Amino acid sequence: RLRAWLPRIMPVRWSRYNPSYLEPEVKKESYQKPLEELTDEEREQMELKAVRPIKAAPPILSSSVFSDPMISKFTNMMMKSGNKVLARSLMSQTLEAIKRKQLEKYHKAPENEKETIECNPYVIFHQALKNCQPIIGLSNITKGGKTYQVPVPLTDNRKRFLAMKWLITECRENKHRRTMMPEKLSQELLLAFNNEGPVIKKKHVLHKMAEANRAYAHFRWW
Amino acid sequence: MAAPAYPGWVTRWVSGQWRNKKRPPALDLCTVEAVSMKSQTPEVSGCLSPLEATCITEMSVMMACWKQNDFNDAPCAEEIRMFYDCVAKAEKERKNQNEDTLSSRGNLPSSKVNKLLRRFPQITRYV
Repeated sequence: RLRAWLPRIMPVRWSRYNPSYLEPEVKKESYQKPLEELTDEEREQMELKAVRPIKAAPPILSSSVFSDPMISKFTNMMMKSGNKVLARSLMSQTLEAIKRKQLEKYHKAPENEKETIECNPYVIFHQALKNCQPIIGLSNITKGGKTYQVPVPLTDNRKRFLAMKWLITECRENKHRRTMMPEKLSQELLLAFNNEGPVIKKKHVLHKMAEANRAYAHFRWW
Repeated sequence: MAAPAYPGWVTRWVSGQWRNKKRPPALDLCTVEAVSMKSQTPEVSGCLSPLEATCITEMSVMMACWKQNDFNDAPCAEEIRMFYDCVAKAEKERKNQNEDTLSSRGNLPSSKVNKLLRRFPQITRYV
Protein backbone atom coordinates (compact mmCIF):
# COMPACT_ATOMS: atom_id res chain seq x y z
CA ARG A 1 0.00 0.00 0.00
CA LEU A 2 2.02 2.90 -1.29
CA ARG A 3 0.85 6.40 -0.66
CA ALA A 4 1.19 9.06 -3.33
CA TRP A 5 3.35 11.33 -1.22
CA LEU A 6 5.76 8.60 -0.08
CA PRO A 7 8.42 9.44 -2.68
CA ARG A 8 8.49 13.01 -1.46
CA ILE A 9 9.25 12.02 2.11
CA MET A 10 11.52 9.03 1.77
CA PRO A 11 13.54 7.86 -1.24
CA VAL A 12 11.82 4.88 -2.87
CA ARG A 13 13.47 2.51 -5.28
CA TRP A 14 11.05 2.07 -8.16
CA SER A 15 11.85 1.09 -11.72
CA ARG A 16 10.76 3.29 -14.61
CA TYR A 17 10.47 0.36 -17.00
CA ASN A 18 7.17 -0.47 -18.66
CA PRO A 19 5.84 -3.75 -17.23
CA SER A 20 6.15 -5.34 -20.67
CA TYR A 21 9.96 -5.26 -20.48
CA LEU A 22 11.59 -8.64 -19.81
CA GLU A 23 14.69 -9.46 -17.79
CA PRO A 24 17.92 -10.01 -19.79
CA GLU A 25 19.35 -13.53 -20.03
CA VAL A 26 23.07 -13.44 -19.32
CA LYS A 27 24.14 -17.10 -19.26
CA LYS A 28 25.95 -18.13 -22.45
CA GLU A 29 24.93 -21.79 -22.13
CA SER A 30 21.26 -21.02 -22.67
CA TYR A 31 22.00 -19.55 -26.11
CA GLN A 32 24.22 -22.42 -27.23
CA LYS A 33 21.55 -25.11 -26.87
CA PRO A 34 20.31 -26.39 -30.27
CA LEU A 35 16.65 -25.76 -31.11
CA GLU A 36 15.49 -29.36 -30.74
CA GLU A 37 16.57 -29.68 -27.13
CA LEU A 38 14.33 -26.89 -25.90
CA THR A 39 11.16 -27.79 -24.09
CA ASP A 40 7.82 -26.20 -24.95
CA GLU A 41 8.07 -23.57 -22.24
CA GLU A 42 11.46 -22.49 -23.45
CA ARG A 43 10.21 -22.22 -27.01
CA GLU A 44 7.37 -20.01 -25.83
CA GLN A 45 9.83 -17.92 -23.85
CA MET A 46 12.00 -17.47 -26.95
CA GLU A 47 9.02 -16.41 -29.03
CA LEU A 48 8.00 -13.95 -26.36
CA LYS A 49 11.50 -12.51 -26.30
CA ALA A 50 11.37 -11.92 -30.04
CA VAL A 51 8.38 -9.64 -29.57
CA ARG A 52 8.87 -7.85 -26.26
CA PRO A 53 11.55 -5.29 -25.40
CA ILE A 54 14.26 -6.28 -22.89
CA LYS A 55 15.64 -4.28 -19.97
CA ALA A 56 19.26 -3.14 -19.98
CA ALA A 57 21.56 -5.51 -18.10
CA PRO A 58 22.82 -3.91 -14.86
CA PRO A 59 26.61 -3.77 -14.40
CA ILE A 60 26.35 -6.31 -11.55
CA LEU A 61 25.21 -9.08 -13.89
CA SER A 62 28.04 -10.60 -15.88
CA SER A 63 28.36 -13.63 -18.12
CA SER A 64 32.02 -14.33 -17.39
CA VAL A 65 33.12 -17.59 -15.82
CA PHE A 66 34.86 -15.72 -13.04
CA SER A 67 31.79 -13.98 -11.71
CA ASP A 68 30.10 -15.53 -8.71
CA PRO A 69 26.82 -14.26 -7.23
CA MET A 70 27.88 -15.01 -3.65
CA ILE A 71 31.16 -13.17 -4.04
CA SER A 72 29.43 -10.14 -5.58
CA LYS A 73 26.91 -10.16 -2.73
CA PHE A 74 29.75 -10.25 -0.23
CA THR A 75 31.55 -7.38 -1.97
CA ASN A 76 28.37 -5.33 -1.93
CA MET A 77 28.04 -5.89 1.78
CA MET A 78 31.64 -4.88 2.35
CA MET A 79 31.17 -1.73 0.27
CA LYS A 80 31.01 1.57 2.15
CA SER A 81 29.33 4.69 0.72
CA GLY A 82 29.25 3.33 -2.79
CA ASN A 83 32.98 2.70 -3.14
CA LYS A 84 32.64 -0.48 -5.21
CA VAL A 85 36.18 -0.16 -6.62
CA LEU A 86 37.69 -0.39 -3.14
CA ALA A 87 35.42 -3.23 -2.06
CA ARG A 88 36.24 -5.27 -5.17
CA SER A 89 39.96 -4.71 -4.79
CA LEU A 90 39.73 -5.78 -1.12
CA MET A 91 37.86 -8.93 -2.17
CA SER A 92 40.43 -9.86 -4.83
CA GLN A 93 43.27 -9.19 -2.38
CA THR A 94 41.53 -11.45 0.15
CA LEU A 95 41.24 -14.29 -2.37
CA GLU A 96 44.87 -13.82 -3.33
CA ALA A 97 45.92 -13.90 0.34
CA ILE A 98 43.97 -17.13 0.88
CA LYS A 99 45.65 -18.70 -2.16
CA ARG A 100 49.08 -17.64 -1.00
CA LYS A 101 48.59 -19.04 2.49
CA GLN A 102 47.25 -22.32 1.18
CA LEU A 103 50.09 -22.65 -1.34
CA GLU A 104 52.60 -22.05 1.42
CA LYS A 105 51.00 -24.82 3.45
CA TYR A 106 50.89 -27.05 0.41
CA HIS A 107 54.57 -26.72 -0.37
CA LYS A 108 55.61 -27.26 3.22
CA ALA A 109 53.41 -30.31 3.76
CA PRO A 110 54.73 -33.89 3.36
CA GLU A 111 53.72 -35.90 0.29
CA ASN A 112 50.82 -37.83 1.77
CA GLU A 113 49.08 -34.72 3.12
CA LYS A 114 49.37 -32.68 -0.07
CA GLU A 115 46.04 -33.86 -1.42
CA THR A 116 44.04 -32.88 1.64
CA ILE A 117 45.03 -29.20 1.42
CA GLU A 118 42.44 -27.19 -0.51
CA CYS A 119 44.00 -24.46 -2.64
CA ASN A 120 41.04 -23.03 -4.55
CA PRO A 121 40.05 -19.79 -2.76
CA TYR A 122 36.50 -19.91 -4.14
CA VAL A 123 35.93 -23.36 -2.70
CA ILE A 124 37.30 -22.18 0.64
CA PHE A 125 35.06 -19.13 0.58
CA HIS A 126 31.92 -21.12 -0.15
CA GLN A 127 32.69 -23.80 2.40
CA ALA A 128 33.52 -21.23 5.08
CA LEU A 129 30.24 -19.41 4.43
CA LYS A 130 28.34 -22.66 4.60
CA ASN A 131 29.99 -23.51 7.90
CA CYS A 132 29.07 -20.11 9.31
CA GLN A 133 25.40 -20.30 8.42
CA PRO A 134 23.14 -20.74 11.46
CA ILE A 135 20.48 -23.44 11.23
CA ILE A 136 17.94 -22.00 13.64
CA GLY A 137 17.35 -18.39 14.50
CA LEU A 138 15.66 -16.61 17.36
CA SER A 139 12.82 -14.20 16.89
CA ASN A 140 11.02 -11.95 19.37
CA ILE A 141 7.42 -12.96 19.93
CA THR A 142 5.25 -11.05 22.36
CA LYS A 143 2.75 -13.10 24.32
CA GLY A 144 0.85 -11.94 27.35
CA GLY A 145 2.83 -8.73 27.60
CA LYS A 146 6.25 -10.39 27.70
CA THR A 147 8.63 -10.84 24.77
CA TYR A 148 10.20 -14.25 24.40
CA GLN A 149 13.06 -15.37 22.19
CA VAL A 150 11.51 -18.19 20.20
CA PRO A 151 13.58 -20.61 18.08
CA VAL A 152 12.46 -20.29 14.49
CA PRO A 153 13.67 -21.89 11.22
CA LEU A 154 15.39 -19.39 8.92
CA THR A 155 15.14 -19.02 5.15
CA ASP A 156 18.19 -19.60 2.95
CA ASN A 157 18.59 -15.92 2.17
CA ARG A 158 18.51 -15.00 5.84
CA LYS A 159 21.13 -17.63 6.68
CA ARG A 160 23.48 -16.41 3.95
CA PHE A 161 22.98 -12.82 5.00
CA LEU A 162 23.67 -13.59 8.66
CA ALA A 163 26.84 -15.54 7.83
CA MET A 164 28.20 -12.73 5.66
CA LYS A 165 27.22 -10.07 8.16
CA TRP A 166 28.91 -11.85 11.04
CA LEU A 167 32.09 -12.30 9.04
CA ILE A 168 32.25 -8.65 8.05
CA THR A 169 31.50 -7.24 11.52
CA GLU A 170 33.99 -9.62 13.08
CA CYS A 171 36.71 -8.49 10.68
CA ARG A 172 35.91 -4.83 11.13
CA GLU A 173 35.85 -4.74 14.88
CA ASN A 174 38.19 -7.34 16.31
CA LYS A 175 41.38 -6.48 14.54
CA HIS A 176 44.53 -4.62 15.33
CA ARG A 177 44.64 -1.06 14.13
CA ARG A 178 47.33 -1.78 11.56
CA THR A 179 46.16 -5.07 10.04
CA MET A 180 44.64 -4.69 6.61
CA MET A 181 41.16 -6.01 5.89
CA PRO A 182 42.16 -8.62 3.27
CA GLU A 183 44.63 -10.18 5.69
CA LYS A 184 42.15 -10.34 8.54
CA LEU A 185 39.37 -11.62 6.25
CA SER A 186 41.58 -14.37 4.82
CA GLN A 187 42.47 -15.40 8.36
CA GLU A 188 38.80 -15.56 9.37
CA LEU A 189 37.81 -17.45 6.24
CA LEU A 190 40.48 -20.07 6.76
CA LEU A 191 39.44 -20.50 10.40
CA ALA A 192 35.80 -20.82 9.39
CA PHE A 193 36.76 -23.35 6.73
CA ASN A 194 38.16 -25.52 9.51
CA ASN A 195 35.17 -24.92 11.79
CA GLU A 196 37.13 -22.83 14.27
CA GLY A 197 37.27 -19.12 14.95
CA PRO A 198 35.01 -16.45 16.46
CA VAL A 199 32.30 -16.55 13.78
CA ILE A 200 31.68 -20.25 14.30
CA LYS A 201 31.65 -19.58 18.03
CA LYS A 202 28.97 -16.95 17.51
CA LYS A 203 26.92 -19.44 15.53
CA HIS A 204 27.29 -22.00 18.33
CA VAL A 205 26.19 -19.40 20.89
CA LEU A 206 23.05 -18.78 18.84
CA HIS A 207 22.37 -22.50 18.63
CA LYS A 208 22.85 -22.86 22.38
CA MET A 209 20.40 -20.07 23.09
CA ALA A 210 17.88 -21.64 20.72
CA GLU A 211 18.34 -24.95 22.49
CA ALA A 212 17.87 -23.33 25.88
CA ASN A 213 14.65 -21.70 24.70
CA ARG A 214 13.25 -24.75 22.99
CA ALA A 215 10.33 -24.79 25.42
CA TYR A 216 9.01 -21.61 23.81
CA ALA A 217 8.93 -23.19 20.37
CA HIS A 218 5.17 -23.65 20.68
CA PHE A 219 4.64 -19.90 20.65
CA ARG A 220 5.17 -19.92 16.91
CA TRP A 221 2.09 -19.96 14.73
CA TRP A 222 3.72 -20.83 11.45
CA MET B 1 15.36 23.13 -2.89
CA ALA B 2 17.20 19.81 -2.95
CA ALA B 3 15.62 16.59 -1.68
CA PRO B 4 13.83 17.60 1.53
CA ALA B 5 15.50 16.06 4.57
CA TYR B 6 12.97 15.08 7.20
CA PRO B 7 13.98 13.81 10.65
CA GLY B 8 14.36 10.04 10.99
CA TRP B 9 11.14 9.45 12.91
CA VAL B 10 9.08 11.02 10.13
CA THR B 11 10.19 8.50 7.51
CA ARG B 12 9.77 5.62 9.94
CA TRP B 13 6.28 6.74 10.90
CA VAL B 14 5.26 7.23 7.28
CA SER B 15 6.50 3.83 6.23
CA GLY B 16 4.34 2.26 8.91
CA GLN B 17 7.28 0.59 10.61
CA TRP B 18 5.96 1.55 14.03
CA ARG B 19 2.70 -0.24 13.50
CA ASN B 20 4.16 -3.63 12.59
CA LYS B 21 4.25 -6.09 15.45
CA LYS B 22 4.30 -9.82 15.04
CA ARG B 23 0.79 -11.03 15.70
CA PRO B 24 -0.88 -14.32 14.89
CA PRO B 25 -3.27 -13.72 11.99
CA ALA B 26 -6.95 -13.33 12.82
CA LEU B 27 -8.90 -16.16 11.18
CA ASP B 28 -12.57 -16.99 11.00
CA LEU B 29 -13.25 -18.77 14.24
CA CYS B 30 -13.04 -22.48 13.74
CA THR B 31 -15.76 -24.47 15.39
CA VAL B 32 -15.21 -27.97 16.74
CA GLU B 33 -17.33 -29.53 13.98
CA ALA B 34 -15.20 -27.89 11.30
CA VAL B 35 -12.06 -29.35 12.82
CA SER B 36 -13.60 -32.83 12.99
CA MET B 37 -14.87 -32.43 9.42
CA LYS B 38 -11.36 -31.57 8.34
CA SER B 39 -9.97 -34.67 9.96
CA GLN B 40 -12.46 -36.82 7.98
CA THR B 41 -12.04 -35.18 4.59
CA PRO B 42 -8.77 -33.73 3.35
CA GLU B 43 -10.61 -30.89 1.64
CA VAL B 44 -11.14 -27.90 3.81
CA SER B 45 -13.91 -25.47 3.13
CA GLY B 46 -13.96 -22.17 4.85
CA CYS B 47 -12.17 -22.52 8.10
CA LEU B 48 -8.51 -23.20 8.73
CA SER B 49 -7.39 -25.33 11.64
CA PRO B 50 -5.97 -23.51 14.66
CA LEU B 51 -2.43 -22.49 13.99
CA GLU B 52 0.34 -24.46 15.59
CA ALA B 53 4.10 -24.52 15.31
CA THR B 54 5.42 -26.97 12.71
CA CYS B 55 8.49 -29.20 12.78
CA ILE B 56 8.89 -29.24 16.53
CA THR B 57 9.73 -32.94 16.69
CA GLU B 58 12.47 -32.60 14.08
CA MET B 59 13.82 -29.59 15.91
CA SER B 60 13.95 -31.39 19.24
CA VAL B 61 15.65 -34.41 17.66
CA MET B 62 18.23 -32.11 16.13
CA MET B 63 18.81 -30.33 19.42
CA ALA B 64 19.28 -33.63 21.25
CA CYS B 65 21.88 -34.59 18.66
CA TRP B 66 23.58 -31.22 19.17
CA LYS B 67 23.71 -31.69 22.90
CA GLN B 68 25.40 -35.04 22.48
CA ASN B 69 27.95 -33.86 19.94
CA ASP B 70 28.83 -30.49 21.46
CA PHE B 71 26.97 -28.48 18.77
CA ASN B 72 29.11 -29.78 15.91
CA ASP B 73 27.28 -29.90 12.62
CA ALA B 74 29.17 -32.72 10.95
CA PRO B 75 27.89 -35.66 13.04
CA CYS B 76 24.33 -34.28 13.02
CA ALA B 77 24.05 -33.93 9.25
CA GLU B 78 21.19 -36.43 8.95
CA GLU B 79 19.01 -34.71 11.57
CA ILE B 80 19.73 -31.31 10.08
CA ARG B 81 18.70 -32.58 6.65
CA MET B 82 15.45 -33.95 8.07
CA PHE B 83 14.75 -30.62 9.75
CA TYR B 84 15.30 -28.75 6.50
CA ASP B 85 13.00 -31.16 4.63
CA CYS B 86 10.29 -30.71 7.23
CA VAL B 87 10.61 -26.93 7.07
CA ALA B 88 10.40 -26.91 3.26
CA LYS B 89 7.33 -29.16 3.35
CA ALA B 90 5.60 -26.98 5.96
CA GLU B 91 6.36 -23.86 3.93
CA LYS B 92 4.88 -25.41 0.79
CA GLU B 93 1.78 -26.52 2.67
CA ARG B 94 1.34 -23.06 4.10
CA LYS B 95 1.55 -21.57 0.62
CA ASN B 96 -1.05 -23.99 -0.72
CA GLN B 97 -3.30 -23.44 2.24
CA ASN B 98 -3.22 -19.68 1.76
CA GLU B 99 -5.46 -19.88 -1.29
CA ASP B 100 -8.62 -17.96 -0.96
CA THR B 101 -11.41 -20.33 -0.07
CA LEU B 102 -15.01 -19.30 0.35
CA SER B 103 -16.20 -18.82 3.89
CA SER B 104 -18.95 -21.02 5.33
CA ARG B 105 -21.63 -18.64 4.07
CA GLY B 106 -20.36 -18.82 0.50
CA ASN B 107 -18.97 -15.30 0.11
CA LEU B 108 -15.46 -13.90 0.28
CA PRO B 109 -14.64 -11.22 2.85
CA SER B 110 -13.94 -7.83 1.33
CA SER B 111 -10.23 -7.79 2.26
CA LYS B 112 -9.62 -11.01 0.26
CA VAL B 113 -11.60 -9.59 -2.67
CA ASN B 114 -9.49 -6.45 -2.58
CA LYS B 115 -6.25 -8.46 -2.54
CA LEU B 116 -7.37 -10.54 -5.54
CA LEU B 117 -8.40 -7.49 -7.51
CA ARG B 118 -5.05 -5.88 -6.79
CA ARG B 119 -3.19 -8.96 -7.98
CA PHE B 120 -5.18 -9.17 -11.24
CA PRO B 121 -6.07 -5.60 -12.13
CA GLN B 122 -8.21 -4.45 -15.04
CA ILE B 123 -5.86 -4.00 -17.98
CA THR B 124 -6.84 -0.71 -19.54
CA ARG B 125 -4.25 -0.58 -22.29
CA TYR B 126 -1.98 -3.00 -24.03
CA VAL B 127 1.57 -1.92 -24.66
